Amino acid sequence: MAKRIRTWFKFSPSISAVGTAVVGMTLLCLATFADAATPVINIEIKGHLFYPAEVLVPANTKVKLLIHNTDSTPEEFESYELNREKVILGNTRAVVFIGPLAPGEYPFFGEFNMTTALGKVVVN
Amino acid sequence: MIGRSGIGLAGYRRVLSLRIKALLANTVLLIVGLFSCTYLYADGSIIDKVYHPYVQLLETEIEYRSRYQNDDDAELDDRQQYRLGIGHSLSDQLFAEIYVIGEDSAESDLELTAIEAELKIQLTEQGEYDNDWGLMFELERETKDNLWEASTTLIAVHEWTRWIATANLSLTYEWGKGIDNEFETSLATQLRYRYSQVVEPAFEFYMGDDTLGLGPVLTGVQRLGGRRKFLWEFGVIAGLDDSTPDTTWKFNVEYEF
Repeated sequence: MAKRIRTWFKFSPSISAVGTAVVGMTLLCLATFADAATPVINIEIKGHLFYPAEVLVPANTKVKLLIHNTDSTPEEFESYELNREKVILGNTRAVVFIGPLAPGEYPFFGEFNMTTALGKVVVN
Repeated sequence: MIGRSGIGLAGYRRVLSLRIKALLANTVLLIVGLFSCTYLYADGSIIDKVYHPYVQLLETEIEYRSRYQNDDDAELDDRQQYRLGIGHSLSDQLFAEIYVIGEDSAESDLELTAIEAELKIQLTEQGEYDNDWGLMFELERETKDNLWEASTTLIAVHEWTRWIATANLSLTYEWGKGIDNEFETSLATQLRYRYSQVVEPAFEFYMGDDTLGLGPVLTGVQRLGGRRKFLWEFGVIAGLDDSTPDTTWKFNVEYEF
């Protein structure tokens, strides 16, 4: 295999450490930019079912799902289509952010009760 | 069921202001990031795995990773590294894992060369901000050469519909007898397309003192019922400079339950 020798990026470790720190600080600063106007949608897990099982969401909008598991056992909200996975212990709440999404249907399920805990996000 | 907590005109202005600040910060990040990439510096091959920042409650995993490298240079040729780990989530933000690491080469048989402890912290909720963030701390003891390495890795993920970009930026301090105690930095990135749960194609890029490599990777998940999952990853990274092996084959599997 033909190789290209690249030595131009090898400077002193101290310079590289400073560079890394600067990048790290910049990255961390970004985490403070929250969107204050995120709509909230409440979902309840009860008897290993999602209520509502069909969640209506506006298109191209980030949404905060506030999921309350009222069962005594844990459940996991999961969806490959939404790229989300979140375990919610019994009698606790958890937050899942989704979107902005294009119009369509995005199924989700409860991983601990895959035959009953089924639902979908409908984006209009 | 949707509730928008009365934002009004002032609220929208604030949101707009935050979005502009986020855009500016992203631009600064890109410029600083590209600039800093020219100063990356780390010893040895860093081709391994690109970490995501997410932690799931009640999750346990058993992980096996192997790496096999080929090169024209006999010193880099026919070297293999194996890593076996077990990890468990301590909370919805903390995940701890320990590894035993072994190496095999043309000159020596397989032997235990290092042990490592790892603690990952999920800093932000997935999807809450423009990027998802995590931090990882690693402590490794190379038993064969009596060396120590302590690393801090910043993990960032950006999602564009089906495309996921992940970056791991590491700062490592290495110390021990017979070496120069020093700081090192490295960068590992992955661009992945979420084609299907069964298989997702990706490209990975690694950069350190002795590593400059790029190559394709395939990943996938196989559900085994309930919470049990089998995750796999297979790829080949081509060396782009003299100090990186011509090819590094990587094969990683994880069993989550």
